[in-house]
Amino acid sequence: MTVTSRSGERLTPDQVRSISFPQARFGHRGYDEQHVLAFCALVERELVTLLNEKASLWEEVQRLRRRIIDSGDASGVGPEDAHVQAVRILSNAQQMADRYVADAQQYSRQITEEARRHRDEVLAEAKTHAGRVLDEAHSRASHAADVLTAEQGAAPNGEWRDRTAELAYLRTFSEVYRTHLRAYLETLLSNVEDWEQSEKSSLTAARAELPFPFPSVSPPPSPAQGSPAQGPPPPAAGQPSSPYSSPPSYTSPPSYPSPSPARLP
Amino acid sequence: MDVQRLQESFARMAMHGDAVPLFFYSDLFLRRPETQDLFPVSMAAQRDRLVHALARVVSEVGHPDGLTGYLQDLGREHRKFGAIAEYYPAVGASLLATLAHFNGPSWTPDLAADWKAAYELVAQIMIDAAAEDAGRGPACWEATVIAHELRRFDIATFRVAITEPMPYLPGQSVSVEAPERPRIWRFYSMANAPRDDLTMDFHVRMIDGGAVSIVLTRGLAVGSRLKMGAPVGSLTYQPGTGRDVLLVAGSTGLAPLKAIAEQISWQPDPPRVQLLFGARTADGLYDLADLEKMAAGCPWLTVVPAVSDDPGFPGERGMLHEVLARSGSWREHDVYASGPTAMVEATIHQLTALGVPQAQIHVEDFGWSEP
Repeated sequence: MTVTSRSGERLTPDQVRSISFPQARFGHRGYDEQHVLAFCALVERELVTLLNEKASLWEEVQRLRRRIIDSGDASGVGPEDAHVQAVRILSNAQQMADRYVADAQQYSRQITEEARRHRDEVLAEAKTHAGRVLDEAHSRASHAADVLTAEQGAAPNGEWRDRTAELAYLRTFSEVYRTHLRAYLETLLSNVEDWEQSEKSSLTAARAELPFPFPSVSPPPSPAQGSPAQGPPPPAAGQPSSPYSSPPSYTSPPSYPSPSPARLP
Repeated sequence: MDVQRLQESFARMAMHGDAVPLFFYSDLFLRRPETQDLFPVSMAAQRDRLVHALARVVSEVGHPDGLTGYLQDLGREHRKFGAIAEYYPAVGASLLATLAHFNGPSWTPDLAADWKAAYELVAQIMIDAAAEDAGRGPACWEATVIAHELRRFDIATFRVAITEPMPYLPGQSVSVEAPERPRIWRFYSMANAPRDDLTMDFHVRMIDGGAVSIVLTRGLAVGSRLKMGAPVGSLTYQPGTGRDVLLVAGSTGLAPLKAIAEQISWQPDPPRVQLLFGARTADGLYDLADLEKMAAGCPWLTVVPAVSDDPGFPGERGMLHEVLARSGSWREHDVYASGPTAMVEATIHQLTALGVPQAQIHVEDFGWSEP
């Protein structure tokens, strides 16, 4: 069965017995976490409903019991009863408040989870895209350099020829790179605006807006890496400037005041 | 005092689950309306805490030795909530009213007298401990944020300055309250050993849907005010064992271990320390630059970053317990570990399997799971 948690729908023992979860996606162990969590939420909701029902039934039993005991004398509601009723009213109000807070927290959790997922997807895509851009820039630059070398094939000065080819390579490389970078940044910017719009319309409550994670892009590789014979330059893996390892920063991060007497040698 | 009768009447009441603490607090708020100001809007977590504390007291009521320490801690801890001795009688009256309500016809004057006596004993221990503690330090510390840095969209480090000294041991934590979330307290470990200028560092990770962590990661700025309770926690450094040290930190579980590393650096002849710092992705190693700077000045300290979910990471790859299993035997080490629940559990399990004696393993469970 699939797990649904529409409110109002009751969970049956049979559903619990026959529950099956899909396996987690590749690279993760166990069951799919989302399904398990959804099912747990369903079970929790059912338990809360049952406990509330139980509590109100018990209150009802107490009330009836008191009525039987009190039926002997004709006095109306005693002070003890009034207090218990006040307690019950306050308890109901408290439960309502608890529910509102829990719902708000649940909503905030969903939004954060969604944002986190979105961020991971965007970063993964950016990484792939960056790799593609570098590959393309490299192949076009190599081609430009080759053409130049072929044209100047008869030139006497070998070093001069090499330098010119390298220059052609770098010029083409950076041009292709810039074009891609510009297009990419524009897409990102419009994504940010879309997101901001959709969040504004769905979130009326004042809440700190999450800035869109903004990957910085690695600079073109140094000329030494760009020799045509070496194949595509590595996409700067592990360097601090790699697109997925740089934290977003819109403003320059505040720096700590100089450390006070931490007695490090 | 008839202990068995006490426990039976408690069990009869406890059957009713959440209705019990619900009744208790409603009764208390009606009796003394101003007590409502001591509690947060949502009482769900608070009710669970009350039931746990009561259950513990009732189950151990026959063995007062262990109980006294627990109650003293509880009494001290309640100082920061503004719980004053004056409220204790009202709490006792509400407890008795709750017991009477749920015990129904089996509630007798004898039973009521027993409970009254037991409660007064408990309350006195708590009141005494709080009074004694009041002679030693403030109920809570006012802290001002003097630096705040968002290291990743959901991880921040910040530094506060307090005005009164707070004596604590590296590795300990304090409960923190933000003005945006009144009367909700969460524990955070200091990420530094005590300093003379009364500043302290904290590392926070935003928990999805977490009430306080979101404020501390994204809602703080220089000048923000926080309240902090007294330092607690037993993940503290045991010097003088003659053994080398392994620190295993998952995500912001790094904070107490960084404080411990700093403390070790003060020793004239520090042991060799290996710090394993793990996260799921490289950007989760939010404090690596700082650690490496520290290691550069400490020849006895080695920092090993590890990442579990990024096959392209150039350093150690895998879960922390996998990394530590393949990088040594650790049988002759003192191990300190802190981080997400699953990570801490896996680390204990792995160390035990590697033959590290229990007495050499010290852990702190941060109580959350990495999303």
